[in-house]
Amino acid sequence: MKAVKGKYYFGGVHPKGAKELSASAPLEVMPVPELLAISLSQSLGKPAVPCVTAGQAVREGEIIAKADGAISSDVFASAAGTIEKIAEETGVNGVKETFIYVKPTENGEKAYFPALKDPSAEEIKERIRECGIVGLGGAGFPTAVKVSPKTPVDTLILNGAECEPYLTCDHRLMLEKTDDIVRGARYLAKALGVANIIIGIEANKPDAIALFEPYEDIKVVILKKQYPMGGERQLAYVTTGRRIGAGKLPADLGLVVQNVGTAYAVCEAVELGKPLYERVVTVSGKAVKEPKNVWVRVGTPIKDIIAYCGGENSSPVKAVLGGPMTGVAVADYESYTHKTTSGVLLLTAAEAETKAPTPCLNCGKCADVCPMHLMPMNTAFYSAAGDFEAAAKYGHVASCIECGACEYICPAKRPLIQAIRKTKAELRNKK
Amino acid sequence: MDNTIVISTPPHVKSKKTTRGIMIDVCIALAPAAIAGIVFFGLTALMVELVAVAACVATEFVWFFIANKGFAAKCKNAGKVCAGWWKQFDFTSVVTGLILALILPSTTKWYEILIGSIFSIAVVKMLFGGTGKNLVNPAAAGRGFMFLSFAITTYAACKIGAIGTVDSSFVNSDATNLSGLLPSADKVTPKSYLGVLDLFLGTGVKGCIGETCKAALLVGYVYLAVRQVVKWWQPLLFIAVFGLAAWLAGGFYYEKYTLDAALILPNILSGGVLFAAIFMFPDYVTSPKGVYGQIFYLCVSAVALAVLRYLTNLEVASFVILLMNLFVPLIDRAFIRKPFGYVKAKKEGK
Repeated sequence: MKAVKGKYYFGGVHPKGAKELSASAPLEVMPVPELLAISLSQSLGKPAVPCVTAGQAVREGEIIAKADGAISSDVFASAAGTIEKIAEETGVNGVKETFIYVKPTENGEKAYFPALKDPSAEEIKERIRECGIVGLGGAGFPTAVKVSPKTPVDTLILNGAECEPYLTCDHRLMLEKTDDIVRGARYLAKALGVANIIIGIEANKPDAIALFEPYEDIKVVILKKQYPMGGERQLAYVTTGRRIGAGKLPADLGLVVQNVGTAYAVCEAVELGKPLYERVVTVSGKAVKEPKNVWVRVGTPIKDIIAYCGGENSSPVKAVLGGPMTGVAVADYESYTHKTTSGVLLLTAAEAETKAPTPCLNCGKCADVCPMHLMPMNTAFYSAAGDFEAAAKYGHVASCIECGACEYICPAKRPLIQAIRKTKAELRNKK
Repeated sequence: MDNTIVISTPPHVKSKKTTRGIMIDVCIALAPAAIAGIVFFGLTALMVELVAVAACVATEFVWFFIANKGFAAKCKNAGKVCAGWWKQFDFTSVVTGLILALILPSTTKWYEILIGSIFSIAVVKMLFGGTGKNLVNPAAAGRGFMFLSFAITTYAACKIGAIGTVDSSFVNSDATNLSGLLPSADKVTPKSYLGVLDLFLGTGVKGCIGETCKAALLVGYVYLAVRQVVKWWQPLLFIAVFGLAAWLAGGFYYEKYTLDAALILPNILSGGVLFAAIFMFPDYVTSPKGVYGQIFYLCVSAVALAVLRYLTNLEVASFVILLMNLFVPLIDRAFIRKPFGYVKAKKEGK
């Protein structure tokens, strides 16, 4: 359908996109690395339980760990090979994670599920669950849970905003796999039993908007170029006008939000029977020699990805997994990709901000840009004083989506997100 | 790979704005008013500006040097301490000094300025914790301190104009001719003896250095608004509410109740209203944090200023600022923003 403009949304920032670095690089398939380390913590919820032993031979796409509980997902071998070891190591978040090390072999045998022809809603739901699909936008919420909402839903929203600077993986996917995404969205809509499909795309991707317009069953909404437009609550409001408050899920207001990458994974799972074990990763930043968008297998070492993109250009100040606004900074390249890793960024001193914080001026810019309409300065003030109850009360911490807009705009460079996370953790520990 | 990689919580990219940059922007915005003051009042005005800025910066430096422990150690490597001071220097004291100078008459003695500046920085700002921690506006507090300490000089500068016959000697004195609306002797009808255009350009108006030329202040306002240092609507809201309040209060002032719209412009353009609206009320540190709190604060301040000017016949802008600053923590507590999608929790049992 003809694209329409989204509603006005109060709050947000306009960081420099820097998407031109990798926006024109077509999708490439990265060769299988020498060693894969597949984490068992691939989604929210409990880590999966391994169902293989060291020395066992596995095929590409074979299940190697089973989901433990409802909000968990199966993990698959990203390449054919032998299991080298199963070991616990510190992951990128500083939390212990269990890794299954796979030594790939030349044997290219694949273990896919049978392809489905004209599947029913139940078949699609089952396929999404057995293929271990999780939200590829970043949170990693199992899609199988999302397509079985407890309340009736009427609309499926596809998230093609990609509001994070630098990242272009969803953009490239929308350009090159338009039809697959649409088919995946139709499968999702069928599983949910909804008729309305909306796709929200930021205005800085006119080529992608033009590609989706010819589909008559999909409503295209142009989003203003503003961070965080791709936040679930922001996207839902801009496209449908429904306000999802704190502690509520989109399903409570009849909505389901899915990333375009997830829709593509659903399409592959249904039509090819392919489990989720690879995804598009944007490798960018001024310190990378050749910024690219690559198909990367889950568990690929970061150093191999950087080497594939020509290595370092100059010495980076920060190495980030994910987008620059919400991603995790890593200390070295000895970590591995997850299902949710959308980017590998090497930022130079000119790009990344590492200035020491100065005293808070009380200017209120953080509150002006907060997309959830909170007052981050209050949280920072009270949490520094150790009064976490007041920090939560006056800052409404529970509603914070940790988008980072407040800290981005802060002229004093205060570590606001750190204060908010600290407050959340302290309150969790108290309970 | 060398080991210079930094790890931190996100976000990893940040805006280019810094505290120092914002304060330099404010200095640039104050420059037209400072230059206009020198044009109208001559080199004495320049002297006032220089002494105030120098005294403020020097006070901050001395405080940096002698506060905290290790004075002897600091003396030994003074060069390093100076470099460290420059690194953390954020130009807030320059802004304080400049604002203080611009709200003083050009006839102020140099030692009075010196003492006022030291009070502003040492007592009002640094004693409470430095940048961002002061309870009240340092420049306004400094001016209030000088008003009380050296009453003779500054009292004349504050005088709105005696209620009585307006004679030429008063007009030519250094008093801030706040009003084109100097009330005439019989208190029956308002009478303006200065044209609105004169008030706007500052020609023939006596007053404080930076407050006379309204055209220069507006240039500063446009700069601040474009650079997004001050929210563009804040000074406009203040001036609009002030004009309305002055119009209504003026009606009560005269024996025969008359609402005269001609009072609005002279009221706004006289004295320090514009200066306070642009440079002092929207001050980050001493104004409320949230938008609703700011609107409330500006409206109440504007009404208070308009009414108190009629009641006292003095330019009370800096006192209204001081008074309202003290209410800011209460306003902050009262106006907590509702988060996006907030639904009032239903009471149990309903």
